[in-house]
Amino acid sequence: MNKEVFEIKAMDYLAGGMTLTDKDAFELFLKENSEYKKAYAELEASWNSMQSLDTPEPSSQMDNAFFTMLSEEVEKNVKKSSKDFFETWLGWFKPQFALGALLLVFGLGLGYFLASDGEVETSQSEVADKETEAVRQKLVLTLLEQPSANQRLQGVGEANKIADVDEIVIKALLKTLNSDANVNVRLAAVESLTNYVDNPLVRQGLVQAIPNQESPIMQITLANLMVALQEKASIEPFKQLLKEQELDTTVKKKIKNSIESII
Amino acid sequence: MQDLTDNALMLKVKKGNLDKLGLLYERHKKKLFGFFYNLGNNPSVSEDLVQNVFVRMLQYRNSFSGDGTFGAWMFRMARNVNYDYHKKTLKKIEFSGNSFNIEIKDPMDDELNEEIEAEGNNALLRRAMAKLPEEKRQVLVLTKYKGLKFSELAEIIGCTEGAAKVRVHRALKELRSIFLELEIA
Repeated sequence: MNKEVFEIKAMDYLAGGMTLTDKDAFELFLKENSEYKKAYAELEASWNSMQSLDTPEPSSQMDNAFFTMLSEEVEKNVKKSSKDFFETWLGWFKPQFALGALLLVFGLGLGYFLASDGEVETSQSEVADKETEAVRQKLVLTLLEQPSANQRLQGVGEANKIADVDEIVIKALLKTLNSDANVNVRLAAVESLTNYVDNPLVRQGLVQAIPNQESPIMQITLANLMVALQEKASIEPFKQLLKEQELDTTVKKKIKNSIESII
Repeated sequence: MQDLTDNALMLKVKKGNLDKLGLLYERHKKKLFGFFYNLGNNPSVSEDLVQNVFVRMLQYRNSFSGDGTFGAWMFRMARNVNYDYHKKTLKKIEFSGNSFNIEIKDPMDDELNEEIEAEGNNALLRRAMAKLPEEKRQVLVLTKYKGLKFSELAEIIGCTEGAAKVRVHRALKELRSIFLELEIA
């Protein structure tokens, strides 16, 4: 066995990439050649120490930076594709494109009727969609923690795209509703939460958020929402809010009307 | 039920479904971070370089044909990112002839002795890695990751599978001799 063949075989043996026959032959070769046996033992020791080289975990800042970059790119891409669509649409007025489009539609129709193996693709898409949802939830949580109000708004926007939000996202949205410094973000959070009013956690959270609101627009929005939901549990927090000295007179009037409508 | 492959996801990113890059990031962030870290970059720089790889993936997504594996394409990009970063920093600072950013203290320093004692061979191995030529260090770090086959390594470094095995073998041998030299010193 020449040097290069030994080098290749030793690596195959180390990485477990040999067939049983080759493995036996190589082991026999090592047994009969003490010099190569020693060389292999040294190689194995070096390989094992490489494999045990430890690596620290990356920080959460890396995730934040990535998801912020990705959400910006996604947004840019959406704007660009809507512009492209408009330009393509204008191009369709040319007769040759119209003919091409007609043929394409015909082809797609034909393909649809002839297609029979769509099930595998569908199930794979379902898995990918679930994974996408999980990543989107992570993206929402990351964006809601950002110092920029614009990014937090983006986070709420991303939450609206999720079909089934989990408890963690709902709690993050409720936290935003209760404590975000920017009123636009808080308004967006209420709007987003209205998508999940069937969830008792959301209804309870919305009711509990009433006394925390100081902005008149938020107070009126919540009052309108509670009337729409006919949420009787909101009456008590609204009554508490009415006791506030500094409450805007228009808001006061609105809340009184709302309480009457709910009762 | 099997998840979509990395190649399928990257092809979706190529078609404009950029969200899918998030899945690829989740699947490979630790591997990439480990790659940069074990090449000798500090954790903060390693994180930046991981980000750069994904920015490049978006920039050059149209160059992904799906013929090779996604892993090989990603690590080729990672090697370029690392090379560009060190080329840039080389211009900025006086290069000591060693890009491995390990803090090498005075061997007589008690603190260092304690550290070496505590970390054992790991610290010594890192010092040995620092002394390896860049190309050999990269080959070793790339093979460290489970799932990275020699065929993929060959695709990344641009040689035959046999040549890739020979290179790894020789790099391991050189690492061993540097390691022993340091141990005696």
